[in-house]
Amino acid sequence: METSKAHSPIFRIMKYTVTDEVRQKSFIIMFAVCSTFVFLLRSCYQGHYLVNGQLLDAESVTTTMSKVIFHVIGAGLMLLVALLSMRVFRRDRDDGMQSCILSKPFTRQQYVMGKIVGLWALSVLFMFILHAIVFLITSIDLRVALPEYLIASLLCSLNLLFAVIAVLLLSLLMPDIVAFLSVMVIGVVSFVAEGIYALSHSQVFQAMIHHPDAHIQPEVTWWKVIFYLWPKLSGLQHLATSLIGGEAFQGLGSVYPLINVFFYCIVLGALLFWRFGKEDIV
Amino acid sequence: MIELNTATKHYDSFTAVDNVSFSVRTGEYFALLGPNGAGKTTIVKMLLDFTRPTSGSLSLNSISSTKAASRNAVGYLSENFRIPPYLTGWQYLQRCAELLDISRHDARDQCKRIVRLVGMEGREHTKANTYSKGMIQRFGLGAALIGNPKLLILDEPTEGLDPIGIRETRQLLESLKDQGMTIFLNSHLLSEVEKICHTVGIINHGKLLVKNSISAIVKDGDTLEDVFVRLVKG
Repeated sequence: METSKAHSPIFRIMKYTVTDEVRQKSFIIMFAVCSTFVFLLRSCYQGHYLVNGQLLDAESVTTTMSKVIFHVIGAGLMLLVALLSMRVFRRDRDDGMQSCILSKPFTRQQYVMGKIVGLWALSVLFMFILHAIVFLITSIDLRVALPEYLIASLLCSLNLLFAVIAVLLLSLLMPDIVAFLSVMVIGVVSFVAEGIYALSHSQVFQAMIHHPDAHIQPEVTWWKVIFYLWPKLSGLQHLATSLIGGEAFQGLGSVYPLINVFFYCIVLGALLFWRFGKEDIV
Repeated sequence: MIELNTATKHYDSFTAVDNVSFSVRTGEYFALLGPNGAGKTTIVKMLLDFTRPTSGSLSLNSISSTKAASRNAVGYLSENFRIPPYLTGWQYLQRCAELLDISRHDARDQCKRIVRLVGMEGREHTKANTYSKGMIQRFGLGAALIGNPKLLILDEPTEGLDPIGIRETRQLLESLKDQGMTIFLNSHLLSEVEKICHTVGIINHGKLLVKNSISAIVKDGDTLEDVFVRLVKG
């Protein structure tokens, strides 16, 4: 009984966060543009692709293209959710909603939680709809059902939670646009570092730099430590896409990005609650 | 109902509120008076936990102001009150009611009654960005009355109102006396305060100079304004 009472204020604040966002013209335009863009991507499935002179079969094309589109949607949504989150506190302050809500028997933790959950729920739904469009295209047009696509979408939603919490926290410490850009830099570094890492571990690259007889000594360097500690946003997307097409599970190590991003969400969330608790409400 | 116990607030080296103690009883109409920057709004902010005191304590309904439960049955009208421009006055009132978990049916009834009470009938369904300052202030007062609060904290409630609006606000506040409501008022309009309130506190440079009933402070031949000027100018 007490639990439901404690969650009720969060739900009410969440409701207004979602309705206030959806009411914005910029949100509606973003949603329409993204949906149209994803819908237009279906033409990518209809091309003929040659690899080493061999024509790829329809299923390989569908799986590969779906994975590429999955990455584009995942990364794009992180950008959009960061844009949505960066002005949330300031808009509430300017519109007088922050003082309106906090003059009622709500705690600051409930207010912040309502904002986080509202933004996250909205962005997860947004991403899920875009992924569902791809799922429907492959199921109806190409007759290839990829139900794991939707599960991967939900897994990838942890990246969106990271973006929401990080931008909200940084927007309390610095100008909104700097907070947005900082989170984008974290994301870009994650994607680039993962790309370099994947490239450096590819067979072609290994064959290029190592003599066949050379003995490779794994060594711990500072950049390797940073690489493993850096938010694994790209790694989580790769983990999610590994579900599409039923790739083999590669041990506990492959779950590390999930643990890494979850850990960051917890730490940044705790910092956000602590920092907002010290804010003066205007 | 309201209690301040040696409340002090520093902003770096600036002391906004300096060792202020007083209490407001249930059913009392209390006005906190002071020149700009005296610390009136800081006291209101501390009461609502918008900012924490550097030292001392404050309580509402015998509960520490740092607890959310202290704000049960409290209505608040802020200085520079605003309504989100994309909402209508009606939607704003409905939102306030729903935030307080009032059922949809009760919320509609309360909002109707309040719109009538603050004299905004016929304008409640237009967007807030078309409202004048006075109209927004009336909706703000209405929003503070949602949920039938026992305590009203009003920070400059007549700010931006024309003389008729000021008079109507005064009449509205007087009518609430019958309901046993407690009012904590921050105001510059000494003549209005003199007509409405039982007790006043005068604050300057963060220090409480006096807190007493108006009849005890204002002697024969004086006005509240005379007393205020005399105390503030030293």
